[in-house]
Amino acid sequence: PETIACLNLADIKIWVLTGDKLETAMSIGYSCNMLRDDMDEVFVISGLTQLEVQQQLRNAKENILGLRRLSSTGDVQKGDVFAEDSVFEETIISEYALVINGHSLAHALEPQLEHTLLDLACLCKTVICCRVTPMQKAQVVELVRRHKMAVTLAVGDGANDVSMIKTAHIGVGISGQEGMQAVLASDYSFAQFRYLQRLLLVHGRWSYFRMCNFLAYFFYKNFAFTLVHFWYGFFCGFSAQTVYDQWFITLFNIVYTSLPVLAMGLFDQDVNDQNSLRYPSLYKPGQQNLLFNKRQFFLCTLQGMVTSFLLFFIPYGAFSVMLKDDSSDFSDQQAFAVTIATTLVIVVSVQIGLDTHYWTAVNHLFMWGSLIVYFAILFAMQSDGLFGIFPSNFPFIGTARNCLSEKSVWLVILLTTVVCILPGLVVSFLRIAGLKKQRPQEQNLRRVRRTSSRRSAYAFSHQQGYGELITSGKNMRVSTLSSSRSLERIAQSSSWIENILKRKNEVSAQPAESHKADRLK
Amino acid sequence: MVKEEQEESPNRPDNTAFTQQRLPAWQPILSASIVIPMFVLIGAAFIGVGVALFIASRDIQLQELDYTGDDSAHPCYKCRSSTEKCTCSMTFSIPNLFKGPVFFYYGLTNYFQNQRKYGASKDDNQLYGDLDYFKDPSSSCDPYTRDSRNIPIVPCGALANSMFNDTFSLSHVVNGTQKIVPLNGKGIAWWTDYNVKFRNPSVTPLINAFNGTKKPTNWPKPIYELDTTDVYNNGFINQDFLVWMRRAALPDFRKLYRRITHDDYVNGLPAGNYTLTIEYNYPVYSFNGRKKVVLSNVSWMGGKNDFLGIAYIVVGSMCVVMSIVMLIVYAKFKFAEDD
Repeated sequence: PETIACLNLADIKIWVLTGDKLETAMSIGYSCNMLRDDMDEVFVISGLTQLEVQQQLRNAKENILGLRRLSSTGDVQKGDVFAEDSVFEETIISEYALVINGHSLAHALEPQLEHTLLDLACLCKTVICCRVTPMQKAQVVELVRRHKMAVTLAVGDGANDVSMIKTAHIGVGISGQEGMQAVLASDYSFAQFRYLQRLLLVHGRWSYFRMCNFLAYFFYKNFAFTLVHFWYGFFCGFSAQTVYDQWFITLFNIVYTSLPVLAMGLFDQDVNDQNSLRYPSLYKPGQQNLLFNKRQFFLCTLQGMVTSFLLFFIPYGAFSVMLKDDSSDFSDQQAFAVTIATTLVIVVSVQIGLDTHYWTAVNHLFMWGSLIVYFAILFAMQSDGLFGIFPSNFPFIGTARNCLSEKSVWLVILLTTVVCILPGLVVSFLRIAGLKKQRPQEQNLRRVRRTSSRRSAYAFSHQQGYGELITSGKNMRVSTLSSSRSLERIAQSSSWIENILKRKNEVSAQPAESHKADRLK
Repeated sequence: MVKEEQEESPNRPDNTAFTQQRLPAWQPILSASIVIPMFVLIGAAFIGVGVALFIASRDIQLQELDYTGDDSAHPCYKCRSSTEKCTCSMTFSIPNLFKGPVFFYYGLTNYFQNQRKYGASKDDNQLYGDLDYFKDPSSSCDPYTRDSRNIPIVPCGALANSMFNDTFSLSHVVNGTQKIVPLNGKGIAWWTDYNVKFRNPSVTPLINAFNGTKKPTNWPKPIYELDTTDVYNNGFINQDFLVWMRRAALPDFRKLYRRITHDDYVNGLPAGNYTLTIEYNYPVYSFNGRKKVVLSNVSWMGGKNDFLGIAYIVVGSMCVVMSIVMLIVYAKFKFAEDD
């Protein structure tokens, strides 16, 4: 239940598809906190014919929208009730639930009714489908996947969940009593349902965050690297003369700059895991594609272009008359190349240093190691030894030594580095300073109402059979605490409910929201 | 019955800090108390460096003499498009003592030594003294690899072929007589070029190594006659040749020709009138290029270039301005929050 409450706070919609009877499913819903007593209405669709089902769906929808229109202050929208329902979806403040029978579902999944079903289902906070066959489970997932721009995740633990797991974007198998079929068909598998929380809110979030940072940095780095040639074209007769040494071009993306960004992509965290779990609404940027969209792409490309401009023109200005302090001339192609190449490596390394939020030992190693390796390879390749063996392949002999021993070159490098990095710092500082502080919605456990007011957690089926199960005490298990989160302690009291849940219900959860970044297969 | 996690222990993922993303880490946070002082510091340091650079650059003396001769009043006008040997001379005066050591450069404008095919047109193996490549130069030198009779050219390529061949001499007018200012051509190229990159073939006498090869098409003399007086300045290791072979990065460039280090002028060129005599061989008229002679001295940061000093001052002041702006924004935000 805590997992479900938590995921709800993160704007993830959860639907239950089970093969149980209606009463069982509803009882489970109440005990899991998916259905609540204070919900405005729980619509039960259990028609046997297509017409009945259609009627019930329409009635339910009208009910929701009618109430909505009544409660809206004067801004009544005329027109087709069933159009533009997605507009209403976000503004629904009262809570509805939908419970639909497998039989009715078979009718509702027909092409003419499926949109109605989908719209109605999305208007409701919770959807529970009972008596659902494995085929129908897959069909429901398919329906959401096809028509809503949302990412679907299916959780199941039995062989009858395999089709659903395969249909959804992400399939999660719970390894447990029912064998390994679900696990084998899924993308992720773990042993308990509550791990889903950590998977999504911690690792999923981090993964999105890292991926966006990685992408933005990669575009920036490569634009800065490549566009220098564009500027140089104006001064070399547009003959496509490369600014850099050939070896530098080969090794830049492979050796000099690949490892720091790899470390950032593996280890970076903006918020630590406890806080990620405590504030589920931190998950929202991922759902709304906030961290890497067209605007962000444009910005990082622009940053790359401006960097390349500065990277070229500052050395250009300095090299227009550049002499060594022993007067021999110095404004030659190879010294120019080495200066710009060194500046580029330093600038992009400093930039990734600023972008990395979480400096582990590996990050340190990769970052400083890359810089050291750059200088080592630079001096090695422009040394006498290699030139002696392959004269025509290493024409930059002696350049590094001559170039990097001049004070003026280091002054150029320092100036260019500072000019490229500081504007980014200023912009991010001003953005942080100007940002309004938002109080994240903390997962308030006190709001998780226990179902003890009207329904007792014990009476959840009209079937026989659970009596001896309860009294035998076999299901009383001490939930093992794998971490010391306080949430778990509250779960102990209803842990055996979880058991039954896992044993009897194939639960499917579907995060359904607006656009999401494509971090899926 | 309930199955515990222990059943899956062979499948259990590793519980190390590395695999469970629990590595200890440092999380730097950019706060105002770090960023704003940093900006002020950088701004102040840059302004200081910029002023030093600017002053150093201001103190360098420079004299430029354009001798392209495109203006009919110019002494070198007659040499502009002549094909045979032509000599012209220009007079100029130095108002104050030109502090030594003074350096003599020739400069070209609108000359794209950085053009890709042009710059790639040479054979490093040949220039390293490898005799195999004398007989068979690499194809990167095309079309300057072999002459019309298919004899290999040494040194091959467009870069070598277009070597600058004007020669200069400077004389000081003293008491009505022309006193030659001695020019020193030793060590004008990079040490690594002279000692490592370019090597003469180890054949004595040098001329024998070049049997069966021809000089580049546009050269008046073959490479082994570039300096017959000094065996250490002949062949591939000729200093003027090395200076030319080091491609310039930009279309307007200067290359070192000679140093003025003779005893009489070691402290500089005294004020007075001077005559520059030019043997005008190198044609630039066809591509609108210009030729000039530059006399300059150097400082600790190189030649006369105001750019770096000005750039440092500009960036330093912008840093200080930005830090003030950030301080204002931060103060506003802080007070707004406190309200």
